[in-house]
Amino acid sequence: MLNIFKKTAIVGTMCIAAGAALAQDYPAKPIEVIVGYSAGGGTDVMARTAAPFIEKYLGDGASLVVKNMPGASGQIGVTEAANAAPDGYTLGTFNLPGMMARTIDRKADYDRDSFTYLANVVNDPNVIVTSKKSGLDTIEKLLEEAKANPGAITVGMSSLGGDDHFALIKLQNATETEFTIVPFKGSAPARTALLGGHVAMGILNISEVAEFQDQLNVLGVATRERSEFAPDLPTFQEQGLDLVNGSLRGFIAPAGLPEDVQAKLIDAFTQLKDDQEFLDAMAATANPVEIVTGDDFKQLTSELYDLASGVWETSPWN
Amino acid sequence: MYSELLHALPDVFALTNFAAVVIGVIAGIVVGAMPGLSATMAISVLVPFTFGLEPLVALGLMAGIYNGAMYGGAIPAVLLRIPGTPAAVATTFDGYPMAQKGEGGFALQVAVVSSAFGGIASAFALMLLAPPLSRVTLLFGPSEVFWVAVFGLASIIFLLGGNPVKGLISACFGVFVSVIGSDPIYGNDRFTFGQLEMLDGINIVILLVGLYALPPVMDLLETPLKTDGVNASKLGTVSIWKALPRMNYWKTWLRGSFIGIWIGILPGAGGSMAAFMSYNEARRTSKTPETWGEGEPEGVAAAEVANNADTASALIPALTLGIPGTAVAAVMLGGLLVHGLQPGPMLFRDNPDIVFGFMWQFLFGAILLILLGGSLATNSFARLLNLPRPLLGSVIIVLMLIGVYSIHGRMFDVYLMLGFGVIGWLMDRLKFPLPPVVLGLILGGFAEENLRLALRIGRGDPMILFQNVTSLVLVALTVAVIVGPTLKKRYVDSRRTA
Repeated sequence: MLNIFKKTAIVGTMCIAAGAALAQDYPAKPIEVIVGYSAGGGTDVMARTAAPFIEKYLGDGASLVVKNMPGASGQIGVTEAANAAPDGYTLGTFNLPGMMARTIDRKADYDRDSFTYLANVVNDPNVIVTSKKSGLDTIEKLLEEAKANPGAITVGMSSLGGDDHFALIKLQNATETEFTIVPFKGSAPARTALLGGHVAMGILNISEVAEFQDQLNVLGVATRERSEFAPDLPTFQEQGLDLVNGSLRGFIAPAGLPEDVQAKLIDAFTQLKDDQEFLDAMAATANPVEIVTGDDFKQLTSELYDLASGVWETSPWN
Repeated sequence: MYSELLHALPDVFALTNFAAVVIGVIAGIVVGAMPGLSATMAISVLVPFTFGLEPLVALGLMAGIYNGAMYGGAIPAVLLRIPGTPAAVATTFDGYPMAQKGEGGFALQVAVVSSAFGGIASAFALMLLAPPLSRVTLLFGPSEVFWVAVFGLASIIFLLGGNPVKGLISACFGVFVSVIGSDPIYGNDRFTFGQLEMLDGINIVILLVGLYALPPVMDLLETPLKTDGVNASKLGTVSIWKALPRMNYWKTWLRGSFIGIWIGILPGAGGSMAAFMSYNEARRTSKTPETWGEGEPEGVAAAEVANNADTASALIPALTLGIPGTAVAAVMLGGLLVHGLQPGPMLFRDNPDIVFGFMWQFLFGAILLILLGGSLATNSFARLLNLPRPLLGSVIIVLMLIGVYSIHGRMFDVYLMLGFGVIGWLMDRLKFPLPPVVLGLILGGFAEENLRLALRIGRGDPMILFQNVTSLVLVALTVAVIVGPTLKKRYVDSRRTA
């Protein structure tokens, strides 16, 4: 009996010692980054582009291994990351507002408290575009038409419960207008339908329309300041419309990460902000960067959750 | 528009990309020559292994396999009167009598040259027609795509031949599988039984591997093939350069190419129908129709040119609209998606080097057929028939399991694939056609999603579906495909009784 206590004590001491050692030597082995989407998608490209830079700032020959666990709009991967051991050797990618919306419109095995928030890296702001056929080439004309004929304007977007959808809800609330939502399966078919004039208006992201400026009317960008990604495009705020929204992609770890490991990781992510090489690599892969770390990232997630659950209460999307 | 075609050429000749086509053609001939194994099966088993490859390597393999298999099917058709692939049935009519007369070598050479001719014609059709068509496809909004999908489903059921009721049941099973997962508009779960793995629906590759690979593998393990070895030993092969001048079938080749290309573009019908039509037409116009069926080399030429001429052209609707016309085209689309290449008009804009390179690979695959299948190795490919079948079957099973597991890295998919395999085996035994299942899965999903999008755009008014000429033409075509065969039968019957 005493033996068991002894053994437990020894094992316990060893664990604590290991824990202490872990913080000091972190990272002592490869860090796995779970991406909830297939290789080649936007989130995967972000993770793979950022990985070598994070390795550089973690130092000590750190190595990040990207593991794709696609399925259920990212839910399988993020659930796996939420339930992993909080030792800093499993990180995950995190998409907003999608990951929070999934906790509202579906049964999910995680919630907003399941994570240690490391950093948001990409903010791909929403844009409002109209097809050339529609003749609605300014935001005034668009809103005028929407007010005159409520519901007559069809809006192509990538899905319900995503950033596009929330941008439209914000627009409708701010301007007291009404549109007809046409949710395509992803933004590429939505954009194709816009190019063919099958829907009048679209809500997409700036990275998806940057190359199509001559074939679509881009009415504005939902940012506070002009996006470095396409500086010639005006914001909505410049045009007197308070509309700020976007698709965010970042990194999380399971909740309960040791504080010094967390600090070391957040520090590495913070340094990405001023790394020109990193910023160039992200620009080359059509990823507008906006780094928000630690508690600010957590705060951002909470705000988006509140927005999503508010929308869900008044107009559930399924 | 066509300058991008030339721009893509240098990449095609990169060592690995070109080697992929060569390996693909050889593998395709081997697969096609094994009775029961088809191009669809080979490519679906292969797709999961191409994740890590460069796109043009992966696509080159597929283009090579497709071209090779369509010829490979002729080898047992000529030597054993067993078509290696369904598309080689018409090749047996004159190929086997030729082999009995000791002209098997010449029959195989006619087959390979005709196959190459058809493949080259088809590749040119793809190169010339797909780029302009891809621009027109912007005109296809949700209501038009809905009708294309309905037209495709109708033609696969009614034009495939055989029993339309069985075709309809097969297609319905495919459409049911397309319903599994979260619905395309609201994201509600359907038939997922709470499994997160099912939320995205059934991956087409998993279904294809199960349906197309497991039944033939079980057949390989079950039934030994009796090769009498007689015909293979008296091939009477002469060098292909001596044999070439004897082949003066230009008219048949051109006619067969047109038929094959046209059948390939139409959704539903495939290589076997093209081969039959070409054979019948060539025989009808022949000056000596009495020699057909007794070992007329031109008959082999007619069948083989047409079953290769539908290969690249089947990709025209697949690449431009994202709607595959045949099961093989469906697998290739799966292969494109694996590499993040979304078919449709944007494919030509975003990835011209890959999509045009793929077209070149079809062309070179067809040309390589002459070199690899004809001059080098007619005799050695004839010996393929002696490969131990149980061994081959076991190797394929292992490849299937590894490949399906590697798609998402989970055993769930493997069990799913085995389940579909059992269903496929039962359907095979009960003579239910398999292609409607595959197209039902793809086109059923398209039809549902686009119908619902169209109705939202029309704000609930179903008249949106009939509002423009394109839609109305597609409706007319669909009606023609459904009632056409019945009307024709009535007409023939009434003439007979009169």
